[in-house]
Amino acid sequence: MSVIEVSKLTKYYGKSRGIVDVSFNEEQGEIFGFIGPNGAGKSTTIRLLLSLIHPTSGSAKIFGKDVTTHGPEIRRDIGYLPSEVFYYEGMKVIDLLKYSASFFDGDCTQRMRELSEYMELEMNRRISDLSYGNKKKVGIVQGLLHSPKLLFLDEPTAGLDPLMQRKFFDLIRKENARGVTVFFSSHILGEVQRLCNRVGIIREGKIVEISDIRALQKNNYKKVCVTAKELKPADVKMAGVTNVQTDNGTVSFFFKGDINAVVKKIGGMKLEDVTIEEPTLEEIFMHYYE
Amino acid sequence: MNIFFYELKANVKSLLIWSFIIGLLIFMAAAKFSGFVGDPEMAKIMDSMPPAVLDALSMRAFNLTTITGFYGIMFIYFGLMGAIAAAMWGSGIISKEERDKTVEFSLVLPVSRSRVITAKALTALVNCIAFVLITWAISLLAVRSYSPDQAFYDFLALEMQAMFAIELIFLAIGLLLGCAMKQYKLSGSAAVGIILATYFMSVISAMQKDLDFLKYFTPFKYFDAGELLQTGTLDGAYLLLSATIVVVCVAAAYWFYNKRDLYI
Repeated sequence: MSVIEVSKLTKYYGKSRGIVDVSFNEEQGEIFGFIGPNGAGKSTTIRLLLSLIHPTSGSAKIFGKDVTTHGPEIRRDIGYLPSEVFYYEGMKVIDLLKYSASFFDGDCTQRMRELSEYMELEMNRRISDLSYGNKKKVGIVQGLLHSPKLLFLDEPTAGLDPLMQRKFFDLIRKENARGVTVFFSSHILGEVQRLCNRVGIIREGKIVEISDIRALQKNNYKKVCVTAKELKPADVKMAGVTNVQTDNGTVSFFFKGDINAVVKKIGGMKLEDVTIEEPTLEEIFMHYYE
Repeated sequence: MNIFFYELKANVKSLLIWSFIIGLLIFMAAAKFSGFVGDPEMAKIMDSMPPAVLDALSMRAFNLTTITGFYGIMFIYFGLMGAIAAAMWGSGIISKEERDKTVEFSLVLPVSRSRVITAKALTALVNCIAFVLITWAISLLAVRSYSPDQAFYDFLALEMQAMFAIELIFLAIGLLLGCAMKQYKLSGSAAVGIILATYFMSVISAMQKDLDFLKYFTPFKYFDAGELLQTGTLDGAYLLLSATIVVVCVAAAYWFYNKRDLYI
C-alpha cells in the first residue's frame, strides 16, 4: 500500500519556482530518502504534503487521502521534524511536550518519558534557554511522542553531535521496524545511504531520478583510480569513461560498460597503484549535478 | 480548547500592560478633573473656545465641570485604547506564529486552520471583555470621591458597551489582517493605520458639515459620546452596521487563512 502518492505536484511562489511536476510514491514501511542541494525544493515538497502551503497544480495523497482537503485527519498520524525547530519560547520543555500531546488521542506520557530519557533531554528547561542541538532533541521527542505512522524528517541531523546522530538513527530504525514509514530529506548522502531503501533525487525543483539505493550504487558504475608515472587524463580516454579527474599523479574516473575493456586498458600501463570500487552515493550524486 | 487556554496564558501579560496604561490614564485624568470640578471659570473658558475646536475634540456636548461631562470627554480615549488593543490582539494572535516561525509546529498538529482561528479569536475576545471590565472597574474606583449620581453610572455603563462594540469591530479587522496578510510584520502596523485613519475621519466629519457622510466609515462616529449622553441608548442602525462589519471581517478571515500559504 502506498502511504504517500504524489502526482505532478507543482508549486510556484508567485513567479519563482518551488517544485515542478514532482511525482513519486512511498510504500508502507519504507525509508525513502529525498536528496538534493539547498533550494532544490525538498522543504517545499514536505510543506506541501503537510498542507502548510497549497499546490499550484497537481495533487498529493497520504494514507489515500488528499492532503489539502483532509489535512487535520492525516496529520493525526504524522510526525514532523523540521530542519529548524521553533517552539513557543517562553514554555518549558515538559509543558511544550504536554501541550503537543494534548492534541492527540491516547496517553503519551509513558512514551514521552522514554523518548526524552533516550535522547537525554532535560525536561525542566525553558525552550528559550536551549541550544540549537537541544531544540532539535525536543523536536525529535515532540515529533515521535504520539507514535505516528509516517515520519517526515527534514535534514534531521543538523545540530546533533555524532553520538546523538547515531542514537537518533537507531531510534528511526527501531520505529521503522515497528512499521513506521519514513520520509527522509537530506543533502548529506552518507546518512541517506545508511538509512534509506530508496532515494529520489531532486534538482532545481524536478525529480531527476528515483531508484533503489543499491541499484543506484551498482548501476554498473565503477570508480577507478589509477596511479602511474606520467599518466595523463587523455591516457584513460575510452568509451564509457566519464568524470575524469587528476589529483597528484592519480587519475580517477567513472566507468560504465564491460569491465574487461577497462582492465585491458589499465593492464598496458606501468602501474604504481590501482583500485576499482563502487562509487559512494556522494560521487554518483555529484555526477548527477554536472 | 488547548489552544484557547495556551493563548489565554500567553496573552495575560499584554492584557495587564494595557490595563495598567488605561488605569494610569484614568487616574491622571481624574486628578486633573479635580482641578476644575464645579468651577464656573472653567465653564466660561470652554464657552470662549472656537466651536470648531470643540467639535474636533467632541467637547461641545459636555459640561466639563461635572463628572458626567468629564467622562464624556474621556470616551474617545477609551474608544481609541480599546480599538488599538483589540486590533493588536486580533492581528498579533494569528501573525505571531509566522513571526516566531512556530507555524511548522502549531499547524502541523492535527487541527484545522479554522479551529485555530476560532480558538485564538475566542482568546482575543476574552481579552477584550476583560479589558472593558477592567476599564469599568478602574473608572468606578477613580470617580468614587466625587460621589457621582445614578445618571453617571448609567452613562458609564453605556460608554462601556460602546467601547466593547468598538473593540469588537477592530478585533474583527485585526483578525482579518492577521489572517489575510502574508507579510506578518505589516498586519499590526496596518491595523494601527486603519485606526488612526478612521479616527481622523471621525474628527474631520465632526468639523466639516459637507464631509458628514464620512461618519459611516468610522466606527468612532457610530458611538459618539455626545449622542450617547443625549439619547441614553446605542443607535440601532449603527449597531447593525457594526455587526455587519464584524461578521464580514471574521468570515473573510476564515476564508483567507484557509486558502493562503503560511509564511515560513
